[in-house]
Amino acid sequence: MKITKAAAAGTMESSDVYVEIQPADQISVQIESVVFQQFGQQIDQVVRQVLADHGVAGASVSLNDKGAVECVIRARVETALKRAEGGEN
Amino acid sequence: MQGEFLQQLYPQPPAGQVRRKLEEFLNKQGLRYDQGIQFAAVFYDSQGKIAAAGGLQKNVLKCIAVDEAYRGEGLTASVISALRSAAFAQGQRRLFLFTKPQNDRMFGEFGFYEIARTGDMLLMESQRGGAQQFVDSLARGQGEQAAVVANCNPFTLGHRYLIEQAAAQCDTLHLFILSEDASLFSAQTRMELARQGTADLANVLLHPTSDYLISAATFPTYFLKEGQMEGGAGGALDLEIFGRYFVPALNIKRRFVGQEPFSPTTARYNRQMKEILPRFGVEVTELPRKEQGGAAVSASRVRALLAEDKLEEIQPLVPETTWAFLQSSEGRSVAQRVRQSR
Repeated sequence: MKITKAAAAGTMESSDVYVEIQPADQISVQIESVVFQQFGQQIDQVVRQVLADHGVAGASVSLNDKGAVECVIRARVETALKRAEGGEN
Repeated sequence: MQGEFLQQLYPQPPAGQVRRKLEEFLNKQGLRYDQGIQFAAVFYDSQGKIAAAGGLQKNVLKCIAVDEAYRGEGLTASVISALRSAAFAQGQRRLFLFTKPQNDRMFGEFGFYEIARTGDMLLMESQRGGAQQFVDSLARGQGEQAAVVANCNPFTLGHRYLIEQAAAQCDTLHLFILSEDASLFSAQTRMELARQGTADLANVLLHPTSDYLISAATFPTYFLKEGQMEGGAGGALDLEIFGRYFVPALNIKRRFVGQEPFSPTTARYNRQMKEILPRFGVEVTELPRKEQGGAAVSASRVRALLAEDKLEEIQPLVPETTWAFLQSSEGRSVAQRVRQSR
């Protein structure tokens, strides 16, 4: 999957995560999280896993996490990815 | 909790009763309604009273407030999410947020980072260190360095005079042309005419300002017409940003500015400059305006003549490069626009 445009998904409500994706040459993941101390590394792994699953080689991803559980993070990143691919707005 | 509130989005500047209710709500929260708001997100309680609200002007989030009765229910998050999504849908990637200094921690949690503050204003941005990255990207000068910040709408012999005088008194003159596209001449045209009009001055470095000097984010009231101005908030925040980022990055020791005989906004800005910039080790030098035919040469005079279709009276006020542009088809379409807007 190739990232062709910027896209966002999610909200900043409690237990959700707001994800922004922009085209880039390499993968970079920036995380702001209320639970960064405990789960920062795990969130980073989840995001990179989703990117790898979709064969994304270049993307700049930034997350503003309000304590979302893993399946929510996965879903939000996937949605943003699909929007950034150019299909849906 | 969300279900208790009705979210209403206003993609046009709120008017009529909505506007009145919003103004009343903000006043109660100690905020003033900002006339620049182009998009608003409002949350109503079950009685139809405003529980929380926020506004968006281009890429700036502002006037965000939650009623005391509903604090602690996550409404701020809802307001910010709504505004962020709207801004994102409009293609805005780098966002700014304007608030009171005591709210720094709250908005910090939503991914906004401080740029600068005054006693009663705080400006934040969504990109961490964005202001610093911008000044780091600017071309460097050498020796004694000074700055001029101008809109050049369009570039006149008045600008030329100010820049020539300033450039003669320093080793490098950093000339900033406002990047905000809120003027008659586009940012691109203003930049290009300034470049052409100063091309022979070897020690002038031309820079854009991005969102960081006299922009909708740093100095929103600058772009309002006289009379719409309210109070003296004005340029203090803008000058703090200049002092905090631009001055150290470019080693600026002086700022030159033209005396302002016409615009009260600019005159006030010049006064604030003399109060604030010396704190950052910058001397402010006000130069008298160049006169032509008994009146100061100014871009506002050029625009007025353009509107009255008195082209021949413009010629003695502008350099040849600007004159050539005004006669080009692009220039003529600008003249047409100003005449139609009258």
